[in-house]
Amino acid sequence: MNRFLTIMASRWMRLVLVLLIVLSLQTTLFTELRPFGVAAQVVLLMVVVAGSIFGVAIGALTGLIAGLMYDLILSTPVGLGSVALGLAGATAGLLIYFFNEPTWWMRSIAIAVVSSLGEIYYPLVQATVGLDGWLQLRLVKVVLVVAVCNLLLSPLAIVVCRWTLSERKTTL
Amino acid sequence: MVAAQSTRRRAIILLVLTAIILITLDLQNSSAISGLRSIFGTVFRPIEGTTRVVTRPVSNAWHGIFDYNNVLDENDRLREQVAQQEGATIAAAASVRLAQELLALNGLPTLAGINAVSAQVIGNSPTNFSQTVEINQGSESGIRVGMPVLNAAGLIGKITKVFTDRSIVMLITDPDFALSIKVVNAPRATTTTTTIARSNAAVPSPVVPVDPGSSSDSAVDTTTTTTTTTTIAGFTPTVTTLPAVPSGVSSITVPLVSELAVRETGVIEGRGPSRQPIVRFVDNSLRFGDIQVGVPIVTAGGSQSLSPPDIMVGKVARVVERLGSAGPILEIELVADLSNLSFLRVLLYQPITEKPAP
Repeated sequence: MNRFLTIMASRWMRLVLVLLIVLSLQTTLFTELRPFGVAAQVVLLMVVVAGSIFGVAIGALTGLIAGLMYDLILSTPVGLGSVALGLAGATAGLLIYFFNEPTWWMRSIAIAVVSSLGEIYYPLVQATVGLDGWLQLRLVKVVLVVAVCNLLLSPLAIVVCRWTLSERKTTL
Repeated sequence: MVAAQSTRRRAIILLVLTAIILITLDLQNSSAISGLRSIFGTVFRPIEGTTRVVTRPVSNAWHGIFDYNNVLDENDRLREQVAQQEGATIAAAASVRLAQELLALNGLPTLAGINAVSAQVIGNSPTNFSQTVEINQGSESGIRVGMPVLNAAGLIGKITKVFTDRSIVMLITDPDFALSIKVVNAPRATTTTTTIARSNAAVPSPVVPVDPGSSSDSAVDTTTTTTTTTTIAGFTPTVTTLPAVPSGVSSITVPLVSELAVRETGVIEGRGPSRQPIVRFVDNSLRFGDIQVGVPIVTAGGSQSLSPPDIMVGKVARVVERLGSAGPILEIELVADLSNLSFLRVLLYQPITEKPAP
């Protein structure tokens, strides 16, 4: 029983619950608001922010979990988003590897850059399983819009991500 | 600390392997994955519904700010289009009815004989790398994977995933979309002259009734010289004398075979939202002639096609000629506006090869 309660109170359970809300925002609000015809990717933003704050391992794990949840509502094969977002989270985590204590602007730039890379990973992973046709010139526009949107939304995402993934001492 | 890192590393490896296994299973259309999607959907839909209600004011405000002028312009344009089409619709409806009656009389399948389910679009694809929409009808309404989806203008896509009360429609513009179609090409531009030997060549000839069945067999089309000579069966030129003034002769115009539309099949493929779909594998035959811009594209039908024949898809916007025997590639302008879908019709059609055995 104690073990069950520990799991329920863990940051990973918190992450799943927060991701459900982020995912619902992605499929409703951010699917409707399409600046220049491109949907902002808040699930990707959460993953990238997690990686940039907590490092490679947490970033990759967050990406794999978020991607798996995202895949279950998409029509593309389950697992593709998981791999793509896992890679994006791990890439964002490299920031801490190179800069021990990054400043806010370094983190912001990293979020924008890794968001762009994360958006490229998805069609690349799709192409590896034969779902090609998405690597075209439009990708440049998609990448730029996603990077700018994620840069603007990153302050809020950092607060949410810190609250979600920070370790707390539980007294059970 | 070391133990925690080791656990994380194991968790990452486990999740990566799980992802790869899931990809493999899903590409094999595993029912376990469908079940997993269904369970997740059951948990996720209420949350999504609540979020939709909460965020609707924000979404409305966004559309109010950025789309207001577009909507006004579109409204004006649509009013004009409606006015133009009101008259044409009546004539078209009569023609369609007539065509369906003729097809039914000849025992040929028509779209009127296929049941359909009306559905509303309830969501677009949340990613930038998938051209799908979600509709509010599912397997409860008889919808199955592969069924064609139309709007008032024409074909828009096909069903790719079906749940109990909703389905996913893959649009024609998705790079994974492919469907066999027919290009209805206009006849070649030829100067047709009917040569009939007669005693007085200087007198203009009346229209001569020609048996269409026999003319198709005996007609000799000389396309290289752009002249068609029709020899009429049972007609003996040397003994026939046509009257100088054609009084009391009833005129019957019978089109030549060469004047009828020629159809050639191909495959339409999507290329993403920013590029027009293309048609490939069109035969480069002389009989078919040069494909003209603007000729209609309709579904081909057939025992293995997922769609019944003669659903309007679009028209040829550009013809890209290729060297050698490879046929041309056609860029297609779709008749349906895929950026603004609201109400759709799913044809409950399955080809004979897909129907379960009784």
